[in-house]
Amino acid sequence: LGDPQNLKCVTHNLHKMLCTWNVSSRGRRGQAEFCYTANDLTPQVCFKTKEGRVEIPVPESSITVTIKSSGTAFATKAFVIHQKDISFVPVAPHILSLTPEFPTSTLHLKWSDSGSVFPYGLDALWQIQILRKNAMEVVTQVTYYSKLTQEDVILSWNWTSDVPLECTSHYVKIRCYINATQFVGPKDWSDWSPAEVIPGKDTEPGESGVFPLDRVVAVGSDLTFCCIHEEDQRINMTYGSKSYAMMQLSSRSHAIRVLNASVSSSSGTNVVCRLEDGLEGSVVFVGYAPDVPQNLSCETSNFLTVKCTWKPGRPSGLYADRKTKYSLFERTSGKNVSCEVNEMSKDRVCDFPVLPDQKTYDFVLGVSNPIGQAQSSLLVDITQRVRPKTPEMLTVIGNNSTSIQLRWHINGSFTWIRLLCQIEISGGHSERKLHNVSMPGGKSSTYTAQLNALHPYTKYQFRVRCSAADHFWRWSDWSRGVEQTTSEAP
Amino acid sequence: DSHIQYERVGADVTMKCGSMDWDAAVTWTANGTDIDESHLNGSYLILKNVDLSQSGQYSCYEGSSWHLKYQTYLRVGTPPKEPVLMCRSNNYPKGFYCSWHLPTPTYIPNSFNISVIHGTKDMVCEKDAVPKNRCHIRLLQLFSTVKYKVTLTVTNALGKNFTTLTFDEFAIVKPDPPESVVAKPVPNNPRRLEVSWQNPSSWPDPESFPLKFFLRYRPLILDQWQHVELSDGTSHTITDAYAGKEYIIQVAAKDTDIGTWSDWSVAVHATPWTEEPKHLTTEAQITETTSASTSSFMAPPTTKICDKGAVVGS
Amino acid sequence: MAAADSPSAALRRRDLCSRGIRLAGKMRADVVDLLDAYVEQQGLDASASVAAVEGVPLAAVERWDEQTGTQRLLENLAAYRAFRALLAQMLEEQREQLGEADAGLGRALAAVLLQVSAFTYHLEELLRLESRGIPGEEEDGPPAPPRLSLFEQKLRGLGVLRELAQWAVRSVRDLRQLAKPSPAPGAAPGLAESP
Repeated sequence: LGDPQNLKCVTHNLHKMLCTWNVSSRGRRGQAEFCYTANDLTPQVCFKTKEGRVEIPVPESSITVTIKSSGTAFATKAFVIHQKDISFVPVAPHILSLTPEFPTSTLHLKWSDSGSVFPYGLDALWQIQILRKNAMEVVTQVTYYSKLTQEDVILSWNWTSDVPLECTSHYVKIRCYINATQFVGPKDWSDWSPAEVIPGKDTEPGESGVFPLDRVVAVGSDLTFCCIHEEDQRINMTYGSKSYAMMQLSSRSHAIRVLNASVSSSSGTNVVCRLEDGLEGSVVFVGYAPDVPQNLSCETSNFLTVKCTWKPGRPSGLYADRKTKYSLFERTSGKNVSCEVNEMSKDRVCDFPVLPDQKTYDFVLGVSNPIGQAQSSLLVDITQRVRPKTPEMLTVIGNNSTSIQLRWHINGSFTWIRLLCQIEISGGHSERKLHNVSMPGGKSSTYTAQLNALHPYTKYQFRVRCSAADHFWRWSDWSRGVEQTTSEAP
Repeated sequence: DSHIQYERVGADVTMKCGSMDWDAAVTWTANGTDIDESHLNGSYLILKNVDLSQSGQYSCYEGSSWHLKYQTYLRVGTPPKEPVLMCRSNNYPKGFYCSWHLPTPTYIPNSFNISVIHGTKDMVCEKDAVPKNRCHIRLLQLFSTVKYKVTLTVTNALGKNFTTLTFDEFAIVKPDPPESVVAKPVPNNPRRLEVSWQNPSSWPDPESFPLKFFLRYRPLILDQWQHVELSDGTSHTITDAYAGKEYIIQVAAKDTDIGTWSDWSVAVHATPWTEEPKHLTTEAQITETTSASTSSFMAPPTTKICDKGAVVGS
Repeated sequence: MAAADSPSAALRRRDLCSRGIRLAGKMRADVVDLLDAYVEQQGLDASASVAAVEGVPLAAVERWDEQTGTQRLLENLAAYRAFRALLAQMLEEQREQLGEADAGLGRALAAVLLQVSAFTYHLEELLRLESRGIPGEEEDGPPAPPRLSLFEQKLRGLGVLRELAQWAVRSVRDLRQLAKPSPAPGAAPGLAESP
């Protein structure tokens, strides 16, 4: 039998260590008795083994080991193992889950830090490798730091690929390094975990097409599109009307890279892959996130509805399903209204119902589209933002030689304010005069005014417009005119 | 052993004298004429940067016995350039023909192979005896949106090239020009000309596949053509001709619904009817008037007569 | 065999045929214009080969000259009914995908849809004239198309319009055949001799 030699001990968890040895070249490995003792005070522990490996506790400082190989001739060898001779190599981490999120080309990785294995809190480094091309090409390697807490904590990490996940298979491996400062032996990275794979479409038999499908991206983005095809098929790819050099991702997948994409037309930009037997394609919509709405302004014309208007800023370039959506949220009441807006018209309008007994409105105009969102706020007292509807049915209800009584109607409820109305008087050999009159606002009612000091037997034209008396905001439009001749002097 | 050896223009050519050693004494002739020693390297014949004129028969004789040891026919040429291919249907809906030529000669024999694919179906292109570089395909299917793909491959000893055409059935329909174009003055109408023609004889079924026509005419004294499009019928009366001016007239044809216009027909000339001048004595006048009345039906003397009594374009 | 033509029926048929020829000719011109606008609007390549699209009636036909008049009318009718549904669906998709962005294309599409509907009615008229029963339309209309990607939708639209343009040419040719006076025995039968 050969002498035991090359005794090596490795610990994976700072608790236990695995010691292995071999026998000198001349001998055969038979049954052996392995005994160890930490120091003279502690009893020796022995056990028999044929494996040439045993697992024993990690010593505080050192232990003495004797290995007696039994058989026809006994060979006994003693070793002293110091902690500094023991190497600490954590167990390869175990990936719990690797989940693809295709729309955003993002991989979600979860793994357990196996903290419970270690006796005390430790600093841990995790190296994560993303690979492609049958796990042969490292795309990226990142180092992630965490603190072990003697409990198994599930760690997670996300990675967004520049190549759509559909385009080719992505592999993820992870390994760790535990920075056990109190452990004096040599420390090393664990082995890599087995690779987890997210298969690409180029692994699916008979699959062909351009990916990603029908995305919405921001102007200026760098985009990658791939064409999945049969093996050995000659293809060419165009983005819009331009051909691009192709990168090979696998035997069934080629990709193009479009830098600084410009805004697409309303029907999107076609990404076309010409195969020998047909066309495949995808559409990408390149647009802008909505601008912060400018000049948000709200007013009411009838105290039934608040009408908010704003300037949209730069057009997003996105339409129909992808167009910018607008919503008006009122913080005080918590009420939210979505606004129907025609993307082609220049001005933007949104109506919000006047709420019972609420004069002050804390509006937040939210704008969003698939690329981004923005908002503008406005705190407004609607009694100070009144622009009545155009006065209607202006009629003369009384008339004598020097005075005329006018009546008109305004739709809407103005009970919260006083109205100021301006009557324009034309004719009567003199210049146009404006006559202001104010009155309490009514609930969709009729208003009257008396004009005096008119000339007898004279033809006059009148029209009227109104606004809020106390906090002037804007005049209504002028009413239709009415003509009346004062009666002759008595 | 005598055979044909093809070489590209500009190539450097080395000929060995059959199985003779390098240092053997030999004599080389080109078309029977001895070749100067300067072209030899031992018994090898070296021809640098050959040109077309060096095509010919090269022979090598053993020095003393004048025994013929090697003979070849050298043909200097070029690989084929991308051939020019054209497909057209002048007998729709029967079929279409494809014809081709090489943009530049190769000076050596070429062979042409044409394949016609409609969707997934291979179609036979029957070679025409004359002209050689043409074949025709029978249309089995009408109104198809599937494109035809025609690939012509040309090969010669120095290389190979090809060209591919992809087209829709309706895009290559182009009739031959109208035939038998006739233009005649209209008696007593100094501003009219009556033009008639016939459908091209190659157009098989004008009733089901009617043609429409395009007439252009101008007095020889002007460059500007006047045009009129005619959706049916094979005659037209020009009513705005300049009196007494000789006109040149051409007609083109197109399928009413699809395809492109034919080339212009052969040009015909005609001059509108003109009144005979009245200046002789009464007796002469009578004789004159009688002869004038018959001559007016003849093409006016100023008209170039292609055919007796009328001007015909074939 | 159909009853011999009474003079008035023959006149009526020729009138319907010639109006049909004009309607089909106009429709074709509008479809070709719409096709150009559609190709440009959708950023497609006009020369792209598009595989046969499921549910779109193919205009391609073999031995066209041997068809009977009734065959011609029935095949035309089935095709234009299908196009009516296909165009209506394209219009819906166009509103969904472009909304207000290109109302012009929407209007042109709607105009062609109107003409297809009118032509469908015209074909039914011709069949009625031949005392031919008008085949019922499939109750629930054509099967809903499979869920397509946006590019597939674009190609499908291209395929629909191309086939429609070819069908319009075929219809003009068919109606010319139908408008022919009763043919000599043995020749390809016009309408009067349809079985």
